Amino acid sequence: MKDLVVFYSVMKKYFIERKRYILNLIMSIGGFLMLFLLVFFGLQSFGAGTETLKGSLVGFSMWIFAAMAYSELSWSLIEEARNGTLEQLYLTPSSFRRISGYLVISSFMFQFILFTVFLGIMLLITGQTLALNPGVVVLIGLTLLSVYGLGYIMGGLSLVFKKVQAGNQILQFMFILFLVLPSFTDHPIIYFTPISWGNVLINRMLIRGISLFDLTVLEFSILFINSAIYLLIGVVIFTYLEKVAKQRGLLGHY
Amino acid sequence: MNMVTTALEVKALRKSYPMWRQEDVIALQDVNFSVDSGEVVGLLGPNGAGKTTAIKCICGLIVPDGGTVTYYEQYGKQNPADHLSAVLEGNRNIYWRLTARENLEFFAGLQGRSGVDREISSTLKRFSLHEKENTPARKLSRGMQQKLALGCALIRGTDLLLLDEPTLGLDVKTSRELRKYILKLVSEKGKTILLSSHDMNVVEDVCERVIIINNGKVLADDRVDNLKDVFNIHIYSFVLKGKYKLNGIKDKYDLSDIKYVNGRTKFKVALKSSDSFYNLINDLQKSGVRLEKIQNLDTHLEEIFMNIIENHDVSGVVKA
Repeated sequence: MKDLVVFYSVMKKYFIERKRYILNLIMSIGGFLMLFLLVFFGLQSFGAGTETLKGSLVGFSMWIFAAMAYSELSWSLIEEARNGTLEQLYLTPSSFRRISGYLVISSFMFQFILFTVFLGIMLLITGQTLALNPGVVVLIGLTLLSVYGLGYIMGGLSLVFKKVQAGNQILQFMFILFLVLPSFTDHPIIYFTPISWGNVLINRMLIRGISLFDLTVLEFSILFINSAIYLLIGVVIFTYLEKVAKQRGLLGHY
Repeated sequence: MNMVTTALEVKALRKSYPMWRQEDVIALQDVNFSVDSGEVVGLLGPNGAGKTTAIKCICGLIVPDGGTVTYYEQYGKQNPADHLSAVLEGNRNIYWRLTARENLEFFAGLQGRSGVDREISSTLKRFSLHEKENTPARKLSRGMQQKLALGCALIRGTDLLLLDEPTLGLDVKTSRELRKYILKLVSEKGKTILLSSHDMNVVEDVCERVIIINNGKVLADDRVDNLKDVFNIHIYSFVLKGKYKLNGIKDKYDLSDIKYVNGRTKFKVALKSSDSFYNLINDLQKSGVRLEKIQNLDTHLEEIFMNIIENHDVSGVVKA
C-alpha cells in the first residue's frame, strides 16, 4: 500500500511538471515533426517504396521515443541535484532505485502518449496508414527497457561526474545507427545492440500487420533477453556509481 | 515517570575525502554524541568544520569511513528515512514548479503517507502559507520557501528533524519567526531536533545543548548554561569621557565595537577573569582616560564559541 502511495506521488509530480513545461514540449514536438517531414518527403522524392516510407515513419517515432526515454533518468538526476532535491529523494523509506523505477514507469506512460500523438500527426500529414495493434505496446515497452538500462548508466555517471550531456548527445545519435542497422544487414549483431531487434519486430507488426502471437518464441525471447541484460547492466552500474557518489559525498553537488 | 529515550547516537564517526595528488581532507575524526528524544541540540562550527558531513552521514547520504549511527535503537529498524527528515539546503529542498500544497503532498507521499489533506492544511496555516497554497514555490519569497522546506520535512511525520542552516539568508524578522516555529515543534509536537547553524542567536534561542565541532572533532558538548559557567567569560561595556584612540590597549584586550559618540568613547570587551578586568582598568587609568560607566553584559554563546574554537589544541583539548 505504501509503495502504491509513493508510486502515485512520483507519477503525479512527473505529470504536473511536464504540464508546467507544456510550451517547451510543444516546441520540441514541432521541431521533431519538421525534421521528420524533411526526411519523409526527401525519401519520397527519391522514389522510396511504401514499405520504406512506413519504415521511416515507425523508425523516426521510435528514435524520438528512445531518445526521450533514455535522457529522462540522467536529465532528472541532473536537475534534481541542481535544484537540491535529489538528497530528499534518497531520504525516503523506499529505496532510491525503487523511486527511479517509478520515474521510469511514469516517463514511459507519458512518452507513450506523446508517441501516439506524434505518430497520429505524422500519419495524418503523410497520408500513410499503419496496422495499429495493442500488442505493439508490449514490444515498445520491452524494446525501451534496454534504453532505460543505458539511461541508468548515464544517470549513475551524472551522479559522479555531473556534466555528461555530451555523452547523452552521442548516444542519441547512436540510437539512429541501432535503428537503421537492420535495414542494412542481417548480421546477428542486431540481436545484441539495443533497440535494433525491437525495431524490427515493431516494424513487422505495424507495417505488415502481424500480431504479437505471430512472433516465434525465439524472436520474442531474443528481445526479452537483450532488454533484460541491458537493464540489469544499467541497474548494476548505477548501484555501483551511486555508492561511489555516497562515498565521495557527491549526491547533493552539481 | 517519563523515560528518556535516545533518538540518535553517533559513535566514532570518521570520514575523509581522498584528493587527487593531495593529502586526504579529513572531515570527521572519531565524532561521538547522542541526542535524547525531545531535545533540541545545536551543532556549531566554523566553515569546513565538518557539520554538514556529520549531518549527511547521519542521514545516510554520505557513507562514513568508520563508526556507527543509531536511530531510536529500541525500534530495531535502522533505515534513517524511517526515523528522520532533513532540511539540508534551506529553500533548495523544494520543487520550484510545484505549488506549496503540491510540494507538501509530494513529500507526504514520498514517505508513503496518504489521506493527510487536513494535516497539509494545518501545516500551511502553521507556517502562514495558507494564502499562497496554490502559488508555485518559485514565486514565494525566500522566507516562505524556507518555511515550506521546513513544512515538507515536517509532513513526512518523522520524530527526528535535522536542520542544516535553516535560517541562512533570511532577514531578521523571518529568522525570528522561523525560530518560533522550531520551538513550537518541540513543545507542541515533541520533535527531536539537531540543528546546525552559523547564527549564534538562532542556536542560543532554540537549543538547550550545543555540540561545538572544528576540524572534524567535537570540542565541546554541553548545555549552553554550563558552557557559560565553565568558560566564565564576562562581557563588559565601557563608556569613557572624551575621544581616545586606545592604542596598545585595543590589541592587548581585543576591544570590539569601538565607537565615538557625543564626545565619548564606547567599546565592548570579553574578559575571562576578574584579574583581566582589573588589569584593563589599571591600563586605562595609566593612559589617562576618564571612565564614565562600566556595565556587565550578558554573556553570549558567540563569545564562548570563539573562545573554544581559538583555544583548542591540536588534539582537540579545550583550555577553559
